[in-house]
Amino acid sequence: MAATTADGNKVDEAVGGEKSKMITLKSSDSEQFEMTREAAVMSQTIQHMIEDDCVDSGVPLPNVGSKILAMVIEYRNRHVDASSDSAGEKEDLKSFDESFVKVDQPTLFDIILAANYLDIKGLLDLSCQTVADMIKGKSVEEIRKTFNIKNDYTPDEEEEIPRENQWAFE
Amino acid sequence: MEFDGMDALPDGVVQSILSQLSNARDVAACSGVSRCWRDCVPFLPALYFPRSAFDAAGAGACADDAIGRMVEAAARLEELVIYCPFSSARLPRWLAMRSASLRVLELRVDSAADKAAAAASGAGSGHLDCIGVVSTLQELRLWGLTMTRAPSWGQLGRLRVLEIVGAHLEDLAVSGAVYACPNLTDLALLGCECSGAVNFTLPLLERCRLDFVGSGSCALTLAAPRVESLEVQGFNWIVLQGGDRLKRLTIAKNTGSVYSLGIERLPVLEQLSLRGVQWSWGAVSYLLQCAAEVRHLVMKVEFCGDFDTLQPFPEVDLVEFFNTHPKLRRFEIHGAMFAALCQKNSLKNLDSRFSISSLEEVLITVRSPLNAEQKLITLESLVCCSPRLLSMVIRISQMKNCHEASDEFFEEICKFAHVNKGRVRIE
Repeated sequence: MAATTADGNKVDEAVGGEKSKMITLKSSDSEQFEMTREAAVMSQTIQHMIEDDCVDSGVPLPNVGSKILAMVIEYRNRHVDASSDSAGEKEDLKSFDESFVKVDQPTLFDIILAANYLDIKGLLDLSCQTVADMIKGKSVEEIRKTFNIKNDYTPDEEEEIPRENQWAFE
Repeated sequence: MEFDGMDALPDGVVQSILSQLSNARDVAACSGVSRCWRDCVPFLPALYFPRSAFDAAGAGACADDAIGRMVEAAARLEELVIYCPFSSARLPRWLAMRSASLRVLELRVDSAADKAAAAASGAGSGHLDCIGVVSTLQELRLWGLTMTRAPSWGQLGRLRVLEIVGAHLEDLAVSGAVYACPNLTDLALLGCECSGAVNFTLPLLERCRLDFVGSGSCALTLAAPRVESLEVQGFNWIVLQGGDRLKRLTIAKNTGSVYSLGIERLPVLEQLSLRGVQWSWGAVSYLLQCAAEVRHLVMKVEFCGDFDTLQPFPEVDLVEFFNTHPKLRRFEIHGAMFAALCQKNSLKNLDSRFSISSLEEVLITVRSPLNAEQKLITLESLVCCSPRLLSMVIRISQMKNCHEASDEFFEEICKFAHVNKGRVRIE
């Protein structure tokens, strides 16, 4: 893993010998985003790409659109800065996280997919928990409706289920 | 990216989402949504059955069947919490199914049906023996238990946290239960009816709370060399082996008396609290001696006396008291114990060189106007001799012998507070 000297310069073994602090990320719609290497490696996927030496002209992310990539970068920059243990900072970070996930459903799922693809555990946990909170307390029908889920049970199977879990549907 | 709905999410992601759910109702609802969701149930790490989970459906067989089905489906279950009524006869099977993965188990075992069956068959706590098969268990919490004999748990070597709340325990039974958990770091027995003598040897114990209620007398012997925080209520005799790491100690007895304490030494004790109706004076003074390094002291005992006769406290020399507890920063003292600091001879050693150098906060409860003058002098001395004093709060509660003397006393205290405004206030 790259070492960091006191003044923040990263000793670089990957990018052709250059000392480079910034990494370029390219979204699926070809927009370019710059971020610090430190923040970039919060994504395990990107970290591996850097180690495998394929980031000369930027990191291509064909699965992530620019809108979502911008949000993910914002999340990572915020979390990379917050390294202190103070209670105040933790509160601030918590508020940030709470507002971060107050988005519409399509965006939320896009964030989940991006966090999954980029392998960013903190963001994946946060966004999954948000969806889980939306599921809590709902009936089967309500869940299907909220998330537009196709019911793939056969009619026979469907009859069995309510009988088994009748108690949950009262 | 086009939004195709949750159906477009990869299975692994759906699993991550559903793994955040543990409430049994939510899990049951999810398994009815679609096949894919139902297939995620085996990956759930936790199941929680709230008290009212089966209220609508009517408990009994329905509840047991549903619990059994869900526990069986959750192949990697780590946490199981059952607050709703269930038949303890089914418990062995459920635990056996998950004995390789279960880490946390919490059960409400006070179902009326069980009690009746147990009483009929004479079994004390046989239905809890099955917990012994869960060798991976790290945390165990039991509510509403009746334990008349020690459960056959063998050795729950991985168990770190044991909590029993609201239970009827035989002393030998609970000693035996704790004996089966030698590696506990946290032990809490709260609201437990128990009398006799309990004996715990726990070399790794760090935090311990024991709250024993009930009318019989009770003795505690605790060997816990690593304990850092200890709170006990309800014991007449206490022996503690190993106070070397103890930082916080509370000994209380809400009814009856504390007769004796056996404690070796408390070299790092920071917080000490003595509470109760009656303590033997020997026990009080011995404990105060051990607690020379204490920074935060609460003393709230109403009477002393070695037998059943309630007696007032002997006088306490104020100078000696503060000299033997030089690190005292926060001090709380109530009623009769405060009166003991205000006896005629309590201030005889007071001179200009005396200083209570660390004292910052004081809370005093005054109950009676007896000896009013002496009490005021003591309050004044405390303020004068404590250069670091930030706040003194005087609580005047339920003045006994309510008549003129009380009113006068109250006025004097108000004057005193006024003169020392900023540092002294009345509640």
